[in-house]
Amino acid sequence: MLKPLKDHICEEQLFSSIFRKYSKDLHDFLYYKFGSQLNPQDKMQEAFVKLWENCAKIPQNKAKSFLFTTANNLMLNEFAHQKVVLRHRKIIPKNSTNINPEFLLEEKEYKAKLEKAIAGLTEAQRVAFLMNRVEGKRFKEIAALLDISTKAVEKRIYGALKKLRQDIDEL
Amino acid sequence: MNREDLIQKWLDHNLNPTELEAFKKLEDYPSLIKLDQELIDFKPNTIDIDEAYNNVWTSVNSTKKKPKKLLATLSKIAAILVICFGFYFYTTTLDTTSHTIASQQKSIVLPDASQVQLNAMSTITFNKSNWNDSRSLTLNGEAFFKVAKGKKFDVNTTIGTVTVLGTQFNVKQRNDYLEVTCYEGKVGVYSEEKETTLLPGDTFLIIDGKYIATEKENLSHPSWLDNKSTFKSIPYKEVIAEFERQYNVSIEFNNINDSQNFTGSFTHNDIEIALKSITLPLQLKYSKTDNIIRLKRE
Repeated sequence: MLKPLKDHICEEQLFSSIFRKYSKDLHDFLYYKFGSQLNPQDKMQEAFVKLWENCAKIPQNKAKSFLFTTANNLMLNEFAHQKVVLRHRKIIPKNSTNINPEFLLEEKEYKAKLEKAIAGLTEAQRVAFLMNRVEGKRFKEIAALLDISTKAVEKRIYGALKKLRQDIDEL
Repeated sequence: MNREDLIQKWLDHNLNPTELEAFKKLEDYPSLIKLDQELIDFKPNTIDIDEAYNNVWTSVNSTKKKPKKLLATLSKIAAILVICFGFYFYTTTLDTTSHTIASQQKSIVLPDASQVQLNAMSTITFNKSNWNDSRSLTLNGEAFFKVAKGKKFDVNTTIGTVTVLGTQFNVKQRNDYLEVTCYEGKVGVYSEEKETTLLPGDTFLIIDGKYIATEKENLSHPSWLDNKSTFKSIPYKEVIAEFERQYNVSIEFNNINDSQNFTGSFTHNDIEIALKSITLPLQLKYSKTDNIIRLKRE
């Protein structure tokens, strides 16, 4: 049974459930869009604080858009369109002795290329693509989060994939 | 199913088992999988949802519960309105009080244009808001009334009530002393001892619960309006009390019979002359220090 949507979210329980539902997605969105330099977790938390401050004015079904827009604006306030470079997390090879050095080098090169290629994607492509590939989200889930059509998500992601592969091959 | 569709479906995490087999046979399968595996490493550090929530909740609570701002503002406005209405209601229904101190006279115009002249150390209390419904006031002291024509006009004192229609009269009530003098029209006086109707010149006098008959006088207004207090067979203590009120002094005496009657008057303008006026007829001597006057037998 669906509960009827509330016209405000000034209830701790409701607020908490919204937090649990969207905080990770919002954080990931901010991360893929703006990188980690501007502390996506802080901005995510700030957006929720603002959501609570305005809880009387925000109906339940508008909470998500409010969060994403607010967090995005918070980021933009600080972010003067620097180039976003997403860092590959350092991997510690499990059995370094068993891996031949050539392979390690290739691997390193590949990662470097990938990093560059991702930096070469448009912002929209990058966000949608990484949410899809890294977070394992389906097209329609991403569409719902970003308030765009599934078709647009599909286009962005497929476009991103094509561009990535092309760039990696070229580099 | 062509290659592009398979890749699309793979991207959307939507391949069924047969499609998956087909996808695996694609020539770019290895490179796609390789890419996919590498991409996983772009995953951001996982956030601790509970900790993040606690952060948010603490910061929310430290910002003084802003969410209730709207409600708080509304209740503030409501409270102010309630106070304003309350104050308005209170003040409009509140009785108006006029008061004179010793040696002071004051003239008051009532809402219906009736005039009241208050003698020294007197108080009247009346209600402006329902004046037209009931012309009723409370008097403590002495006052002269010029009542505009209209409904019943009541002057309440602790000893009795004076009721008139449209007229001029003087009411003097001091402790157990009540004197009502009618100057124009008709005045009804109702007290426990006696009920009577006064015609112009008539005086109603009660001292210590006893009705005292008085002679008819034909004056247009009480003498105190001309700054003079006049007494006709009035106990001496009332004269002294009036003197104290008019000059704001205190009079001390002993061995003097203060219940003997006094007939005469004193002015309000000159204390020396006034003192002589009240002492000479009784063959008394006075001495004055500051605001204390001592009376002695000669």
